[in-house]
Amino acid sequence: MGRRTIIVAAASLTMGVGVAWVMFANEVRTASVLDVVLVLVVGWSFIGAGLLAWQLKPGNNIGTAMVVTGFLRFAAALDQSQNLLLFAGGHALEVAYLAGVIYVVLAFPHGRLENTFHRWLFGLAIFAVGPLDIARLVFGGHDPEDCVGCPPTLVIEVTNAPGIVRVLELALFGLGAVVAVSAFAVLLRRWRRASPRLRFAIAPVLWVGAASFVAVFLMVANHFLEEPTGDAPHVLLDVVVASVAFAFLVGLGRTRLARSAVADLVIELGNTPGPGELRAALARALRDPSVAIAYWLPDDQRYVDADGRPVVLPDNDERSVTIVQREDHTIAALVHDPALREDEQLVESVCAAAGLAMENERLQAELRARLQELSASRTRIVEATQAERRRIERDLHDGSQQRLVSVAMTLGLADSKIASDPDRAQTFLREARTDLSEALEDLRELSSGIYPGILTERGLVPALDELAARCHLPVELDVSLPERLPDGVETAAYFVVSELLTNVAKHAPASNVRVRVELVDERVVIQVRDDGPGGADPSRGSGLRGLRDRIEALGGRFTLESAPGSGTVVEAEIPCG
Amino acid sequence: MRVVVAEDSMILREGLVRLLTEVGFDVVGQAGNGAELLQQVDTHDPDVAIVDIRMPPTHTDEGLRAAKELRHRHPGLGVLVLSQYARPSYAFELLSDGTDGIGYLLKDRVSDLGELAESVRRVAGGGSVLDPSVVAQLVNRRRMGNDPVEELTERELEVLGLMAEGRSNKAVADRLFITEHTVEKHVQNIFAKLQIPTTTDDHRRVLAVLTFLNSS
Repeated sequence: MGRRTIIVAAASLTMGVGVAWVMFANEVRTASVLDVVLVLVVGWSFIGAGLLAWQLKPGNNIGTAMVVTGFLRFAAALDQSQNLLLFAGGHALEVAYLAGVIYVVLAFPHGRLENTFHRWLFGLAIFAVGPLDIARLVFGGHDPEDCVGCPPTLVIEVTNAPGIVRVLELALFGLGAVVAVSAFAVLLRRWRRASPRLRFAIAPVLWVGAASFVAVFLMVANHFLEEPTGDAPHVLLDVVVASVAFAFLVGLGRTRLARSAVADLVIELGNTPGPGELRAALARALRDPSVAIAYWLPDDQRYVDADGRPVVLPDNDERSVTIVQREDHTIAALVHDPALREDEQLVESVCAAAGLAMENERLQAELRARLQELSASRTRIVEATQAERRRIERDLHDGSQQRLVSVAMTLGLADSKIASDPDRAQTFLREARTDLSEALEDLRELSSGIYPGILTERGLVPALDELAARCHLPVELDVSLPERLPDGVETAAYFVVSELLTNVAKHAPASNVRVRVELVDERVVIQVRDDGPGGADPSRGSGLRGLRDRIEALGGRFTLESAPGSGTVVEAEIPCG
Repeated sequence: MRVVVAEDSMILREGLVRLLTEVGFDVVGQAGNGAELLQQVDTHDPDVAIVDIRMPPTHTDEGLRAAKELRHRHPGLGVLVLSQYARPSYAFELLSDGTDGIGYLLKDRVSDLGELAESVRRVAGGGSVLDPSVVAQLVNRRRMGNDPVEELTERELEVLGLMAEGRSNKAVADRLFITEHTVEKHVQNIFAKLQIPTTTDDHRRVLAVLTFLNSS
């Protein structure tokens, strides 16, 4: 507890006691117990709540505003004194504390007036309860006849000008009514726009605040209509204003620590939460039904929801994001109502309490994401197989089949000429033989594309030599492998190199290529590096993705580095086990 | 006889033109796709169009569609469709508008010059030609329940197949080295066993037989 707090507390105690003594000690105008109690409750509750706010929310000037409001309320009660100076002072500050109430209600909970309109309202309120009200008294607004037992003179009264007073009173009442109604409308609007989480936090202050604006309005109307309801609106205002500080305390509690909510959460999460229950539990603990959890997948560097579906974190003022870490690793991101930013401690405690459960659910989400990826990659593999079959059919149709039909035609011609014109028949036969060789060549090329025989007969190393020799690019081959590897591994490695070379030839036809194949820890590591333009993206185009799918299907890994302008390096690892 | 050839493969188109010229046809126009074909036929008004099924731009069934369009535009024109594959469904699609002057043959058949010349003449004369392998697929397909085709004798099956290929009684008789009269008797037996209403018109007969073979 700071010195300032102690001084203020002591001062408020003294002032309260002093005001009570002034009120009770006045033998001309004896105050009722209710009056005194109301004054003390309003004053001390505001000052007390303000001091508490200083402690809990340093830097939030709402606490100061409350302390000032409390002292102003005490000051206003000094008009119960018969001492001329105290009487005048109290009278001058009679409604000053209402400006403080307006500030507290409008600035709750952030402690600042959020826009120009609010600042205008507050300014008008100060102008009304300060200069305007005092000017009214200066020009003789105080009518001793209305004030039974009051001192006969108000020392600040300079002249008695009923015309001016009338104008000032009209201005004062009009301004009071306008400010009260506007402030009420502001609260209504704020309520309607607030998220459920924020509503919960601001509800007490908002409603009590709205009630006090209604009371102010009633008091002004009462004055204006020559007090048909007597003193009732004053008492109502005092009662309502007295509850503002308590509402503030409740609201402060709500925006701050929902300690019990965190405790509940810990108990709730002790029983392993089922699917979706974690989110619901967090929503309850944070009192934010909109809360969403995005789980971090470190391998993929992306977020997914509990079902493993990709999630993009929002980047706007309507939602806030809190990154949840556990043992220095990011495990999730909490997407929540921005109102929770007011209460980082609550969010932190909730995240700490739910850390283990979140880590569990993160693992499950990761698993689901993997399954989805797996299923997508299986679909792609099936589709790629079908596409490959179509390609082979097309190659056969356009290549060998046509040549063979052509051979059949030429043979038909030869057949028709063999008796009548043997020389022409022989020409046709030679033509047919040439066509047939070409058809065979087509078939050979196609079948070695489907599966190169040399791979089975001689193994991966000679097959890669042959592949490099056939390639239209300059290829530097660096293969260090034991004699033979399992068939499946050799085939996969061969086609990885073959497809990557095809890819380079297609996208970077002017490059030099280095191919390195080696065995590291029972894994074949293939690296194909070109000095082309780079910028390859496996998410576009099916070639690289298909390759990745097939390598991952074998339990291998596939990485690609292809910054624009610095060539492309693809590394694939295929396990031999 | 004037012929237009549509085939996107240069090798095959040239081969076809050579064969057709060799057997005495006058190749008046050549096309590489369906649109060109329609244009060539409009220009030259030939007796027969010989059309490859698979042509650019989609490489699926342009030839088939062009052939149907041709039959609408030029009702008297004979259309012989050539295909790398023998697909009954394509054959039926082609014949569904009527069997007059239409043919569907595997590309391989053209190497038999006599057979090619006969097929072209047949469609030019309003007859129909169906590839034997398509017919074989239709005859040999298994049918639900009692298959009346199974009640046919070996010889009757041969006659049925040749009928389905679009041949006349005389052509069937020549093929099987029997008399036309014997063929007529076989045909009557076949129609009775398969319970198809008899018709003497060669052209209508093809459709009746094919419809039966394709049913159930």
